[in-house]
Amino acid sequence: MKRLFLLFVSVFILANILGSCDKIEQDDYLVFSGAAGEWFDGSGVSDHSQRAIIEKYTGVRCVNCPNADVAIATATSQYGDKLIALAIHDSSSFTRPIGDTPRLSTEDGNTWSNYFGVRAAGEYPAALISRTLNGSVWDLFTPTSGINGRVDNIINTATQVAVSVDATQSNDAVNITVNLEFLQTISDQMTVTLLIMEDGLKVTQRQADGNDDENYIHNHVLRDVITDVWGADIDCTGQSGEKRVAQFVYSDYKNEWNLDKCHIVAMISKKESREIINVAECSIE
Amino acid sequence: MKRTSKIIFATALFFQLPLWGTAQGILGGHVTGNVQFDGQVSRRDTVIGSNDVPEKLLSNARADILYTNGNFSAGLRYEAYLNPMLGFNSQYSGQGIANYFVSYKTQTFAVTAGHFYEQFGNGMTLRAYEDRYLGLDNAIRGIDIVYRPWNGVTIKGLVGQQRYYWDTRGLVRGFDAEVSLNDVVKSLTDAKTRLTLGGSFVSKYEGDETVLSDVSGYKLNLPNNVGAASVRMDLSHGGFGLQAEYARKGQDPSIMNNYIYKNGEALWLSASYSQKGLSANLQAKRVDNMGFKSVRSVSGEMLYINYTPSITKQHTYAFLSMYPYATQSTGEMGLQADFMYKFKKETVLGGKYGTDIHINGSLITGLDTTVIGGKGTDGYTTSFFGTGDTYYGDISLEVAKKISSKVKITATYGYMVFNPIVEGHEGDLHHNHILVGDLTWKINRKNVLRFEAEWMGSDSHYDVAIDDKRCGDWIMGLVEYNFTSAWFVSISDQYAYNDGIGNYYNISIGYTKNATRLQVGYGKQREGIICIGGVCRQVPASNGLTFSLTTSF
Amino acid sequence: MKKIILTLALTMLTGIVMAQNAKIPENVTIKTLDGKTIETSVIKNDGKPIIISFWATWCKPCNRELNAIKEVYNEWQEETGVKLVAISIDDTRSASKVKPHVDGNGWEYEVYLDQNQDFKRAMNVVNVPHTFLINGNGEIVWQHTSYVDGSEEELFELVKKVANGEEIK
Repeated sequence: MKRLFLLFVSVFILANILGSCDKIEQDDYLVFSGAAGEWFDGSGVSDHSQRAIIEKYTGVRCVNCPNADVAIATATSQYGDKLIALAIHDSSSFTRPIGDTPRLSTEDGNTWSNYFGVRAAGEYPAALISRTLNGSVWDLFTPTSGINGRVDNIINTATQVAVSVDATQSNDAVNITVNLEFLQTISDQMTVTLLIMEDGLKVTQRQADGNDDENYIHNHVLRDVITDVWGADIDCTGQSGEKRVAQFVYSDYKNEWNLDKCHIVAMISKKESREIINVAECSIE
Repeated sequence: MKRTSKIIFATALFFQLPLWGTAQGILGGHVTGNVQFDGQVSRRDTVIGSNDVPEKLLSNARADILYTNGNFSAGLRYEAYLNPMLGFNSQYSGQGIANYFVSYKTQTFAVTAGHFYEQFGNGMTLRAYEDRYLGLDNAIRGIDIVYRPWNGVTIKGLVGQQRYYWDTRGLVRGFDAEVSLNDVVKSLTDAKTRLTLGGSFVSKYEGDETVLSDVSGYKLNLPNNVGAASVRMDLSHGGFGLQAEYARKGQDPSIMNNYIYKNGEALWLSASYSQKGLSANLQAKRVDNMGFKSVRSVSGEMLYINYTPSITKQHTYAFLSMYPYATQSTGEMGLQADFMYKFKKETVLGGKYGTDIHINGSLITGLDTTVIGGKGTDGYTTSFFGTGDTYYGDISLEVAKKISSKVKITATYGYMVFNPIVEGHEGDLHHNHILVGDLTWKINRKNVLRFEAEWMGSDSHYDVAIDDKRCGDWIMGLVEYNFTSAWFVSISDQYAYNDGIGNYYNISIGYTKNATRLQVGYGKQREGIICIGGVCRQVPASNGLTFSLTTSF
Repeated sequence: MKKIILTLALTMLTGIVMAQNAKIPENVTIKTLDGKTIETSVIKNDGKPIIISFWATWCKPCNRELNAIKEVYNEWQEETGVKLVAISIDDTRSASKVKPHVDGNGWEYEVYLDQNQDFKRAMNVVNVPHTFLINGNGEIVWQHTSYVDGSEEELFELVKKVANGEEIK
């Protein structure tokens, strides 16, 4: 019997050595085969939600900014995935680090701040929801109040373009897939702007009482705009019912970022006006 | 020097080599071999649809030569297709050494390097075999090891590439173990119940390749390694026998299953009872997505790693085998029952010499599937016991009786249902009734005559659009005369007398001496499908002269 | 020139055919009807002749041959001590029917399965039926392919010669 047992053990071991049998998960049956940024006919988007994005211009030395964070956190918990938050540290004097802490500013964030007139106005915190215009000027406001009305205006309108974004990390790159489904016909040239933001950054922040909180946690911090700062053109006809897909490859992320806490945001905009039509967010798998 | 004589010269020379060795006393041992030469001179015939063959002569030739010396053996096979006979893939064109091996075998250990044939269990995970009449050769070129550490235990391991016409492709690794419990467990040595258990694992490796999916911009994420495993048993107790094998295969998107990711599965069961003069056998099987080839993108009959056994009876009469059934490795369920009984001599039904009856029936259906999607999905789901469309069904009753010391007759009735979908085209089911009468008259010790008459009534009609020349009602007659075991002449004719087209006459003459056989035939050969296992080959119609020479030495 | 080469070639071929008096290979794997793997060295008959017949359940002439010999097998055995070993080349499709087939026909031969056709290849069998006659030393002294009703009588004449130690040719 002992011999028999030995035999079965060796059979088992050998079978395992030989048994290099690949198992591919259902989500991975298909892999993107086009060039990065090349658009193809896609299989559509299952979630047709209209979502809004609140971009908050902020700084570590801005004493009123933590209050805005509280208000935005309240709103995002209220709206769930219908509202995406983004924190942008431009290059104003408010963004100078306190003590020996890393600077959260980005060049792309500063470009946006200048374009939307945040720097010129010089009032922080400032916010813009889905880059809407109020008349002919950008609808900048102080995000300690007035968030809900603006968000409602956007998410209660019919969705023109449904969007979804997926991101997977493989080797030294993040593969990002953007799916679009046109629910209405849009004649404008469209762009997609992809960005990466990070949660849970512990960076010293000056508080309303003037004290510096060394344990302050910054969320939704813009790290980088993956596409061109004003997005990449979407190759489509814009006809209602059209489904498009493109994949982007991002490898310029920095080692000190914690990709597990990063999110990818895809903003679909009109190229001419730069208004955001819809937006989607995902974590990196 | 003409090409044919060149070939004969080369062959002879190559045969001579080991002999020179023997003559010089270097090698010793024995040389044996066999030679086969088939040729065909074809003429155009518009009715049966045989085409002009630009080459005057089509021929397949092969010679196997085997050298054995004690535990050592080595072999070579020369093949020449100048040009390949009708029905053989044109990729066989050419000539050369197609197969070679060296092997060393002892009682407990055997190792073969070169081309080898191997089968694990019933072949559901691996069967490397050849069928020279099908033009099929799945030989693996590599290393095969068989080890018997103890009496009753056999372990096999192999690695290699499969033959693909004149090339080899893929990479196959396999492992098999079999234990005969009665030999291993001392107390069971003399038990009436015998049990053998076995298991195997086979894996193939393929590199990356771009196969576009139906979703634009996406290609398939193909597995590099695909494994298949099986367990089996063989249980017997006196006249009772039970055999079973269950196999599974991992994700294996291939051209055969339209690149779906569903796992493969196959179950085969056989139960039998027999005693002197009586036997009964029942078989069942279920095959789901079990086609396993060493190269995912190759269709056709080559490069199969495994074999999914067909359970329908292998009929030999022309009309009964006109619609052969091949296992649909993509999915099918089947049942087969076989019953044989001998009425004893000097009984009412047995008469003076006894009477044999043989009843066989089988039914094959598709699986009950629910489609999920196409290429790049799991494809479909099935319910295990559900059945789909009827693919094939037949029942046959054969009665064989010796009437006198000189005359034997066999009468057969068969009924058959055939779904053309198994040959890849939609259409109505064919229902055929078949009658066969076969009479052998031994005139005296040297002269034997055999007559065969067949009839087939079918509800199918010949339709030009589908061009299935088997449709309609047929009759056939055959007369065969044998002079001792050396000479035979046979004349036959198949004629579609209703709803069909074609008149296939044939005359053959054969001469056999010892292990050498020469046969020459002239006539029309119907286009047909030859199936063995999960593999079918289309043989085009031909009209003309065929000859065949085989010899073993 | 062509003729000379052809003649030469054919002479060489014949030469090699004549030179042989091969034995049955001993280490080829076959299976018993109850599924046990064994080797061809089990094919023995204590110095008496052996008939090895390659057959298949679906092969009509094979069945006619084995059924014909069955009728006279007892007499053959009594007279010469010959033993018939039937090697089935049935593959999986019909291998499980071999035992019922043998019992159903009432054959009392030693029957083995050669599913992988290793023995068939080792013996250079191309078509079935293919019958070998082996003398007491295990040497192949005669072989024949195909069967016609009555040719078992020719075979028995040869068996008697071999049993008496006579040369065949």
